[in-house]
Formats: sequence, structure tokens, C-alpha cells
Amino acid sequence: MHGRAPHLVPADCLFFSVMRRPGISLLLLLLVSAASPAVATDDLQRAAMTFFEKEVRPILVSRCYDCHSEKKQKGGLRVDHIGYLKTGGDTGPALVAGKPEKSALMEAVRFSNPDFQMPPKEKMPDAEIAILEKWIKMGAPWPEDAAKKVVITEGGFTQEQRDYWFFKPVAKVTPPDAGGNWARNEIDRFIAEKHGEMKLAPAPEADRRELVRRLTFDLHGLPPTKEQTEAFVQDNDPRAYETLVDTLLASSRYGERWAQHWLDLVRYAESDGYNVDFYRPSVWPYRDYVINSLNEDKPYDQFVREQIAGDEIAPEDPQVLIATAFLRHPMYEYNLRDVRGQWEVILTDMTDTTGELFLGLSMGCARCHNHKFDPILQKDYYALRAFLTPVHWRDDLKLVPAAVRQAYDEQQAKWEEATAGIRAQLEKLTKPGVDEAVERWRVSFPEDLQAMTHKPVAERDELEKQLAGLCDRQLEYARSTFNADSYLKSAEKKEEYKKLRESLKQYDHLKPKPLLDAFVVTDAGPNAPANPLKTRKGEQDVPPGFLTIVDASPPQITATATSTGRRKALADWITRPDNQLSTRVIVNRVWQYHFGRGIVGTASELGKLGEAPTHPELLDYLTAKFVSGGWRLKALHREILLSATYRQTARREPDEATAQIDPSNRYLWRFHPRRLDAEQVRDALLAVSGELDGKSGGPAGDGNGTRRSVYTMKKRNSPNELLRALDMPGGFASTSERQSTTTPTQALQLLNGDWLLSRASKLASRAKTIDGAWWAVLGRAPTDQERVAAEGFLQKRVEAAAQVVADAPESEPATAGFKVNTAHERVLVETSEKEGDDFTVEAIVNLASIDQGAELRTLVSRWDGGKDRPESFGWSIDVTGEKSRYKPRHLLMQIVGHDENSNIGYQVVASNIYLETGRRHHLVARVSGPRRQVTFTVRDLDTPGAAARSSVVPLDGLAKISQGASPIVLGGLSKRTPTRQWDGQIEALRIVEGYLHDGTLNVDARGWKEGVVVWRAPDPLGAAFTWSGADTKSAHENDPFRQAMNDLCLALLNTNEFFYLH
Amino acid sequence: MSCHRYDLPTSRRDFLQTAGGGFGAVALAALMGGQAQASSGRLPHRAAKAKSVIFLFMEGGPSHLDTFDYKPLLNQLAGQTLPPSFGTPLTAAGEGKSPLLESKRAWKQHGQSGLWVSDWFSHVGKHADDLAVIHSCASSGINHAGGVCSMNTGSIFGGRPSLGAWASYGLGTENQNLPSFVVIKDSEATVVNGVRNWGSGFMPAVYQGVELSSDGSPIRYLENPKGVDRQRQRDRLDFLGGLNRDFNASRASNTELDARIKSFELAYQMQAEAPDAVDLSKETAATKKLYGMDNKTTATFGRNCLLARRLVENGVRFVQLYSGAGSKWDSHKEIEKNHAQLSHSVDQPIAGLLADLKSRGMLEETLVIWGGEFGRTPMSEQGDGRDHNPTGFTMWMAGGGVKAGQTYGATDDLGLHAVKDRLHVHDIHATILHLMGIDHTQLIYHHKGRPERIDQNEGHPFTRLLGSELA
Repeated sequence: MHGRAPHLVPADCLFFSVMRRPGISLLLLLLVSAASPAVATDDLQRAAMTFFEKEVRPILVSRCYDCHSEKKQKGGLRVDHIGYLKTGGDTGPALVAGKPEKSALMEAVRFSNPDFQMPPKEKMPDAEIAILEKWIKMGAPWPEDAAKKVVITEGGFTQEQRDYWFFKPVAKVTPPDAGGNWARNEIDRFIAEKHGEMKLAPAPEADRRELVRRLTFDLHGLPPTKEQTEAFVQDNDPRAYETLVDTLLASSRYGERWAQHWLDLVRYAESDGYNVDFYRPSVWPYRDYVINSLNEDKPYDQFVREQIAGDEIAPEDPQVLIATAFLRHPMYEYNLRDVRGQWEVILTDMTDTTGELFLGLSMGCARCHNHKFDPILQKDYYALRAFLTPVHWRDDLKLVPAAVRQAYDEQQAKWEEATAGIRAQLEKLTKPGVDEAVERWRVSFPEDLQAMTHKPVAERDELEKQLAGLCDRQLEYARSTFNADSYLKSAEKKEEYKKLRESLKQYDHLKPKPLLDAFVVTDAGPNAPANPLKTRKGEQDVPPGFLTIVDASPPQITATATSTGRRKALADWITRPDNQLSTRVIVNRVWQYHFGRGIVGTASELGKLGEAPTHPELLDYLTAKFVSGGWRLKALHREILLSATYRQTARREPDEATAQIDPSNRYLWRFHPRRLDAEQVRDALLAVSGELDGKSGGPAGDGNGTRRSVYTMKKRNSPNELLRALDMPGGFASTSERQSTTTPTQALQLLNGDWLLSRASKLASRAKTIDGAWWAVLGRAPTDQERVAAEGFLQKRVEAAAQVVADAPESEPATAGFKVNTAHERVLVETSEKEGDDFTVEAIVNLASIDQGAELRTLVSRWDGGKDRPESFGWSIDVTGEKSRYKPRHLLMQIVGHDENSNIGYQVVASNIYLETGRRHHLVARVSGPRRQVTFTVRDLDTPGAAARSSVVPLDGLAKISQGASPIVLGGLSKRTPTRQWDGQIEALRIVEGYLHDGTLNVDARGWKEGVVVWRAPDPLGAAFTWSGADTKSAHENDPFRQAMNDLCLALLNTNEFFYLH
Repeated sequence: MSCHRYDLPTSRRDFLQTAGGGFGAVALAALMGGQAQASSGRLPHRAAKAKSVIFLFMEGGPSHLDTFDYKPLLNQLAGQTLPPSFGTPLTAAGEGKSPLLESKRAWKQHGQSGLWVSDWFSHVGKHADDLAVIHSCASSGINHAGGVCSMNTGSIFGGRPSLGAWASYGLGTENQNLPSFVVIKDSEATVVNGVRNWGSGFMPAVYQGVELSSDGSPIRYLENPKGVDRQRQRDRLDFLGGLNRDFNASRASNTELDARIKSFELAYQMQAEAPDAVDLSKETAATKKLYGMDNKTTATFGRNCLLARRLVENGVRFVQLYSGAGSKWDSHKEIEKNHAQLSHSVDQPIAGLLADLKSRGMLEETLVIWGGEFGRTPMSEQGDGRDHNPTGFTMWMAGGGVKAGQTYGATDDLGLHAVKDRLHVHDIHATILHLMGIDHTQLIYHHKGRPERIDQNEGHPFTRLLGSELA
């Protein structure tokens, strides 16, 4: 695209070209010695040039240019200039002037090495080969080309590359004398200087309301409360602003907000990301580690060192060890047979992320060839990768201090000792089956990997530990999903197994409380696996090293008994005070998160492909100060926040000149207007509705709940809908810049989505008045004009709503039972009790009809019919329609809950029991999540002596099925669904926690005791029950004013003023 | 700077310079532009016949060996192991050494072109002369997760934009009241990897696919909440619009703010018009019958195919229909039973779609693509199933200007590897964009300083598919 076009111009300006020409000089020397001293060197040059142009260049053009010139550079090589040939490609120089035998070019064209033949398709004629040889022997003369004349320095880099700002050491900068009285600190002097150069002027300081809102969102990700706003606005202390900054920085809300930035960068997620998308239940301590580190103002160098090499620095400290989860964030597929391929991908991900995140360079290009735009060699990529090749994903460690682990092990040993006999018996029963399952899986690996898995762990070398370790995870999966129940065929054995399991349970009291798994890495051992760079010329093992252009010296690495020490060396280099890359990168990021845009606009790409810094001296000034001040982020925040630059208002429109000079505000003539990030929006919605759960840390909650967004589950394949619609990253790759999209489908969600409607409703009940709503959402009173508009809106809506209510039909008596399109469609049950995952429903019913199509008749439910959100967790008991995919007129259940993997599971549990219409039935459904079964029992009460019909149907391991947002509803779903209405009587119905044994069931409902719900149609309607008809609405919805207030609040929550800092 | 500059920005950079505030705000182009061209003012790069795509995705991996790629040698060698000349393939379930499994299908040549089609697709076979059958497809994903991700995004790893997103980015939509990229599944089951298969990856969310449910409310949150009638919605929007306009008045340089007002208005229009676009009650009984909607087996996919036609008619750029959502075409065992059932559920609907498009003169402008994330192995698995085969499999295209009635490329004699004119997923994507008039090497999105393309710089369009006049 045009925007970055200047960087895409290839060739001339970026690449090496000819320096002085030793080749020509050599040629001259030779010729001169053989000829008369009078011969003009000019003539000799001309002769050489003629030879080149007539003989050599045509060969290069016809044989090589297709793959090695301006358009393509296979193997990183170009042959359209002598400079390129001498510098060579990925495997080194292609040509050594004067020495054909040392020139790779000759080796290739001669076809002497079968792995290295050029041109690849066909050997060129011998005559042409001879010409090339002669030419190289002559010193490879090449015509002067002024346009390509640049200087190559040590290491093969051009002076221009060395002079690129990012590779130069951080400069000692004295702030310019600019900014006068406007400047509050040094930052402003740099900004003012540029303003002066560009004929821009700063915006006035923002008023206090704008400032307090900006600062609180910036540092806490939340809106200020009314009290915070007013306190700051009223504060007469001249240092009120400084005090506010310090107070906000000292709060632990700061870490919760700023951790989000870091989590974006490390592609934090809580699931594997492939098909099954397994949840990672022990990754959250890493999120808390980031939050806590920021709150403690841990020096950034330490923060980085811990994440790259925490296991090598402090292997015994769980608080440090967890930092290495940074290297656990790549995606992972639990059953990928191509284990080597998967490990390769994981290594690539770790290498790329490390390069981008800490060094600000997209290294990815250099994986396959020398970087085309930056002086990053392919070798450099592999040298960085070499630090990570020893990494071993550990699943056997626990995130506790050694003493706790020891106590655990001791207790575990007691349990093991006590249960040894039982477990041996159990194993005897199941071992052949388990072994078979494991072997079936094992043979699907390539043979050499199978062999590795048979080796005892102690005998495996490092690479084998890694690869066999990945295989073992799969085999462990096969083992853990072995199902004894279906394996054991005979009833006796099943019974024996069941008894043994029960007796094993007797010892549960001896079992120690499970420890949290440590989601961390260590090295596989003290020796690093090979790190091969494969090229056409063969394979070389690349040792660890830094970016050649910045630091060509070999790293100092000290191995320990268990670790190569490589990552510690990498961490030490990245955090060296004089590392010009990593230090600038973090300072630029902090600037970016405060202002919405970095001094370098592309925060993870500071190389040539990125944007140039707008204020390079300022970046260096801040970087130097940051490092010398002990790498403290809070000090850097403070410096930025206290600047006059940060305090400028965003509410300034550009005049014509400004719009011409700097339309996108790169030079900060105002504060950048910004939409709130996804998490800021969601947290702010909860804050203003008064629902925000302030709990810090611990396992994640559901995104539809009320915890802060940073504490909600991050499943890669099922992100929270609202957050994703507002551009939350997917957690697949490091993300340095949030997008800000606006779409009609997003608008639909914001207008019609249940979650937002609930917030609006909560807000309405809290705010009560127009002024209250304005204060809550926008932190200010409405203007007179707004108040008039709001009153007008409320009045209009109240009148319209009152009309609708008045039009609703009168209620009819309930004697006819349940019937669609009457006032007696459903009964809503209000109860705070939950039936749990183990419950019994017992009912006396008479169904008048079934659906003629495929729809269901719903007897009772705790469900809204949804299948993809935790708030839809629930269940229903239904009778199938005439054209159902299941057997018609049959009883079934639908259940939605968490499966074992924390994915949302939905299951239809068909009873296989027929239900005759027009007859009284006694009907029982006993649901047991833990036992994974549902037991149905139906008896026809109108046929004397009719036997009860029962069935036991397996249930997937669903849990939390009563944790959804729906109430219990008789005769339908919580969301009115006319097609799923019960038709006929529900004489009585009760829901009781647990499995009711047959003796406890009772055909006479008058004998029913307490339950979560006990409904008897003849009884007077209890307080817990509300009839819902075709047009009746809940009390709140029925209240026209309340309805109008909900709408008003919903509108306020959707205003630009709420969504934007502008 | 002008307050109403909605003329199409031609690049993200240009756009940002006009947007004034909110970096990364790129949604406006597609929102405001109608036939917006967010990536380049020059798109499409050449006049193309295909204006829309209907991608029929058989999820789980349909067997090419039992549908469109006839291999008599397979039945001759059935029961034996793979001859050594074929190498030892690394397959998903490790079936490299299992005996070869015969194809039990009855094969027949169809149409004037005489294409071989098995009896599982006898209805589609009647359209043989409209099909360009590509026998030499290849992918990098050996498992479903990688395979489906690869077929959708070109990479086995998540995070990249899907083909439909690239097409939307390149060509925009022709109907503002409908999304430009729509996905419909044949059941409630989750497609492998979930919604990210139609995600926009590193591009703005505006390009992502919108899932249409095939019954009830077609677009999520399209219906007003309970108790909210159209007037009430209008009143809410008027009130909101008033507040926003007051706020925006002094902030005209931030065009994102105005875009938000418009997005709510577009949502309101979409609520009115989208249900109409997908209202099948307007279709005749004969049309429904053509799609097999009168038959229980074919009703679901038939309805989805008919929906696809209506969407395309209404200007939707890219429609993706999933058959067997949740890897149901995956048949490691009992392939006969599995594939028979699934083929029957799609054969007539697909034939109906082709016939309907053709009779309405829409086939030339609509590229229909059939395929899955990979094919299946000639080797058996568990006796009567087949393992995944990403090294050689079949996809076919119809309409959209492809030169039909012939096959392209070939697998070896057992259908294991593509051996002639191998088309990797990258090439397939380049080809599809090519058919839509997009030079995929010019369809670039800058991400982290890198010029990203759908094919990660590896694909080549297979221009022979276009026949002579346009290639």
C-alpha cells in the first residue's frame, strides 16, 4: 500500500554496493607488471569492462537473474552487482575476487557438489563456466556505478545500516531550550522544539474533569467515581494533579489495567487454541504475577529477566518461576502426531515473540532469509532461537515452595501406602485396557519417536526429553480418558470395579489437598539440542548469539547441572543498561499506552519497516533516564503524566494550517482522542451500573459476570462476545496496537444484547433520575438542553408504554392449565436456591397435544434456549413433536453446562419413553451430573395397574447446569418461545436437590415436602410464582417509567461521550 | 480538514490521516463506502466475472477417492499395503502402513465432458459440464484444527484473516444492510476452532464473517429485545443520536464519532431489511423442491443453499456454508455409512443451487466452490474408514467464469499425493481471488510493519481455470 511505500523501495538505497575496487586494482597490477609501464590504465580498464559487458554480464542475466536480482533473491543472493556477490547470500559470500576456487559461485556452476548446483535445472555450457572463472580470476571487474556506491564496514554491513538510528547507542541528550513557560518538565521542551520547527502550537491544558477522567481510565481502566471527580475538581492545592497521579499509581487497580497491555504483548490466553481448545487451568497465576509486578513497581529489567529465565535465576521461588509461563503461551494441539513439526512451530513462536516484544524487531522475515530491509541475518534469527531450543514445557512441577511440596508428598505417600492394595487390584482389572489404549495411540507416532517414548526418562537426551515429553503428554491423555466402565464387559467385573472405587474413596481423608500445577518451563538439561540452519549448502548448527550488527561478541553462558544457562545469558543481554534496543522499546511502549501512539508509531517494529520516530531525542532522553533511574515504570509514568504535553486537552479542533501540517497529530498539538479499549468499556459499564466486583486475582471468572475484564476467561476459540466486538486481541500473536472498529453488527449487540440491557436496567434502578444517570455514566450533570431532551424522551416513552400496557388483554382464570397465547402460558418461579448438578424433578401432568412439527412441549426448564453462553447454562424437560428428529411424543431433556474442559457443552438426553396425550402421568427425571446419567420414570395414572416405564440415559460430564441466568419456569423457557409451550395441565411439580430414591417419590403431591420448587396447581398462587401470559410482562417491564429509564440509560451507555476520551 | 470526508480512503495510512483521532480506526471505509475499497482504489485489478463466492465447506474432510477422484488401481490393490514407491506418509492417526481400502462406489462418467463422479454425487454429476474439478489440491494441516484453519486463512495457526475477510477487505460489500461475509452452518455444532475460522485476524473486525443462523433470527441481536417494538427502538436511537450529535459537533475532526452514529442507523436499517433478504417464504414450492427442502434428509442443507443464493442476490460478497459442522465428514471408521448419509444430505441441494443459479443467469457471476480441509487416504483405518489426507485431494469450482467440464491436475494412481499441477491452499486462495478480479499479490494489509498477503507470499493463481478469454 502506498502509505509505507518509501520503505518498500528495494535495492539501491538499502543494500550493499561496491566500495573501492580491490579487484580492479589487482587486475591493474597484474597487467601493468606484464606490459609496458606506459600503457594507460584507462585502456586496461576499458578492456576489462568490455570483457565484462560482452561476455560476463549476458551469462549472469540469462542464467541467474530470474532468481537472483531485483525481483527475487533466492537464498538471499543477488548477482546484479558485484557488491551483492561479494556480500553473498544466506550462506556467505558468493564470490572471492581473484579466487575462483574459493568462490561459491564456481562451486555451484560446476555442479561438483550434488547438493549445491546452479542453475538448478541444467548445468550451463562449459564455455560459459570458463568465462566466469576467467572473470573471477581477473578480479571480477565491474563497471563503476555511482548510484550504488556505499561503504561496507566490518561484518559486511553498510555504513548506512550501522547508522540507522535504532542500532546506534542511546544518545546522551540535553533537553533543548524550548517551551518557555508552557513547559512543565523536560518532555515538554522536546515537544515544544518540534512544535516550533513545524509551526504548531500546543493545545490549552484540559480542564479538571477531562483530566481526572483521562487519568483514571489511563491508569486504572475505570471511570472516576463522582466523589473522585468532585474531590479533584474542588481541590485547591496547586499540587492536586500530582497528588492525583500518585494516588492512582499507588492503587492496585493500576496493575490490573497496565497488565492488560503486557498480556496483549505476550499473547496471553487461557486455552490451547486448537480444535478442542483445552482450558489452561493453571495459567492465571502468570496474569497475577504481571499485575503484582506492576503494582510493586518491580524494575523492568528484573521483570524481563524473570520471564525469560526465572527458572535459571530462582528455581525455588514459585513467584519467580511462574514468570516463565511467558514461554508457555504458544498454541498447542493435544493430539498432533507430527510432534517434531509442532515443536518446531512452538520454537518459532517463542523466537518471534521474543524478538518483537523485547527487541522491537520483527524477526520472522529472517527465519527464511536474511532480512530484506533490516540488517538482520538469517544466522541472527537462528542465534536468537538457539537461546530457546533447550526449553522444556514442564507439567510435573507445582507452584508452591519446596516445604509445601514436601509436606504434600509426605501426605500423598501416606495415602498411597494405605491404598496400595486397592490400587493394585484396580490396576489388575484395568491395566490391559489402559495399556491397549496407550499402545494404540503410541503406534501412530513415527517409529523413532515411539522408540524414544520407551526410553526411561533418565536415559533420554535433551531433545528426546522434549520430543518424547510431547508424545508422553498425548499418551497421558490416552491414559486419562480411558473408560473402565465401557472396557469392563462382565457385570461381575463392573461390580468389582465399582466396589474397589468405593473402598478407595474411604481413604480420601488421607489425600492431601491438590497443589496448583506450575505452568512453567525449565531447560531440558544442561546440554542444548542442536539448532540447525538448513540451507542449500547444507546444515550448520548455529550457537546462541546476539544481533550481529548490535553486538557481535559471543554471549557468556554458564551452564548449571540442570540447565544450559542460555536463557539467563539472553535475559542479561536484553536487560543490559546499554542495550539500545530493549530499553528504547519499553519506553516507547509506555509512551504509546499513555498517548495512544508511540514516539515510534509501530511499537513492535522499530526497524526499517516501522515508522520513524517523531522525537528521537526525546526517546533517547527518556530511555537514558529510565535506565539510570533503576528501570522503574512508575517513575516513567509519572514523568510523562506530569508533562504539559500529557495535560493538553483533546478538545481542540485543528485550524486549517494545523490540519495541513500534521493532520494525524503525530507531533501532539493536542491530546489524541481515543475510544476506550474493550476492557475499559466493559469495566466501565459494570462500574457505572454499580455491579463491578472488586475482587483481585485468582482463577478467572466468566466474561458475562461482573469481575474486571482482566480476570475473565480468555479462551482463544470462544472469546467474550462484547470484548471481541470491541477489538480485544485473540491471543494468537503478540499485539502491540489495539484497533478501534465500528460496525453495524457491533451496534446491534450494543442496542439489543442481553448483557448490555442488564447493565442499563441495573443502572436505571440505581440512578433513578435523569441527573443520577448522567452523573453515573458521564460524571457530570446534564446540560439544560440535555435535561429537556431527556425529559421529553421519558415522557414520550412513558405515554407510549402506558398505551401498550392498557392494550394488554385481561387475565383469564387458570383452570384450563397452560395454554399458549393466553394469560397462562408459563409460571415464572422466583427462588434463590439452585438445584445443582444433581437433582430430581417429579410431576403430575396431563399433556393435551404435541406439536405437529418438530417443536417441543416444554414442561419445566431453567433455560433460555441458548447453547453458547454460560448465562444460558440450564436444562429443560420436553416432549417431542410429530416430526422430531428424535422419536415423536417422547420425553427428553436438553442440558447446557460446562464440560470437563470448561467448554460449553450441550446435550439432548432422549428418554426413549413415550407419553400419551390426554392422560394423567406421574413423571420423574433424576439428573446426576457426577454420575453422568439421567433416570426417567413415567407411569400412566389413568390406566389402573399400568407399570412404570424407566430408562437410564448416559449424560456427558456436564457441570454448573443450574448456574445460568434463567429462572425456573413451568410450561416453557425463560425466554418466551411460543413454539415451545406446554399445552395442558401441570397439576403439580417439584424440584428437589439430589437423587430422590424410589421410596421418596410420591404420586400424591400433597405429600411432597420442601424442595427448591414445590408447585401444586390447586393451591393459592405462592409469592414465588408468577403467571406469565402472551402479553404480560415482568413488574419492571410493566412500569412505563422504569421501562423508559432503562432506555435512557441504555442510550447514555452508548454515547460517544462514554465510549471516547475526547 | 473537512468534517465530512467519507470519500474512500485508499489505504490505511491515508485513512488515518483523514480520521484525525483513534488510531487503528479503519472500519469507516467499509461502513461508509457502499462498494467500499478499503485496500486500494484500484480494486478489482481486472475485470472479473465472479462477483460473489459460495464456498461449500464439507467439514471433516470428504473422501475424494469415493466422490470425484476415480482410482481403479485402488480397488485392484485393496487389502495390500501401500507399495513402497509411495513412501511412508505421516498421517494424523498413523495409518501409513494399513491396508488399502477399496472404494465401494459405483462410478459413472457424466455429461458431455465425461467427468467421473461417484453415485454419492449423482445429482451434482448432472452438472458435470459446469464443474471445474481440481484433483491436485494440497494443504499443510494434517489435523482438523490446522486443516480447517489453513483452508480458511492460509495458515495452520490462528490469527490470520480468513479468505472471506480478505475478499471483503478487497472488494467491500454491495449491500450496506447485510454483512459482506456470511457463514451458515448445518447444525448448532461448533466448526473446528470456532468463530475464528471466519475471523478477521489482524485486520479490523469489520471484515469478519457474520454467522447467520439458518432459522430464527438470522443475525445475532438482529431482533429487538422483548418488549421493544420498532417505534421504541426508533425513539431510543433518536435520543442517542441527539446526544451524540451534540457531542460530535465540537469534535468534527474525529470522524470515528460520526461513524458511530451511522453504525447505529445502519443497524436499524439492517433490522428492517436483513430478515427480508433471508425470508424464504417468498420462494416458490418448486424452487424449494429443487433444493430438496421437501425432503427431511436434504432440507437443512437445501435451505442453506437457497439462503446462500438469496444472500448473493442481495449483494453479499462471500458466503460460506458448512456441511457436517464439527468435523462430521471425518470418517476414520465406517466411511460408507458416514459419507453416504452426508453426501445424500448435500448432493441434491448443491445440484439445486447450481441449477437455480444457472436458470437465473447468476452462475457466471457466482463462483461456487466445493471441498473440505483435506481428503482421505487410500489406506484404511480401523478396517472400514480412511485417515486424513492433506497431500492430495479434490475440490471443484463452478461458475464465476471458470472453464468448466474438465478436470485439472491429478493425484497419483492411488490418490495419495498430488502429482500434476499441485495446488497448495495458498495457490487455491490466490486462484479464488484471481477469479474475483483481485491480484492477490496486490491485496496487501500492513501488519506490524510487514506487508501481509493471504498467501504469505507463496501462492500462485492457477490461471488455466479461467479458460482462454480472461487468463
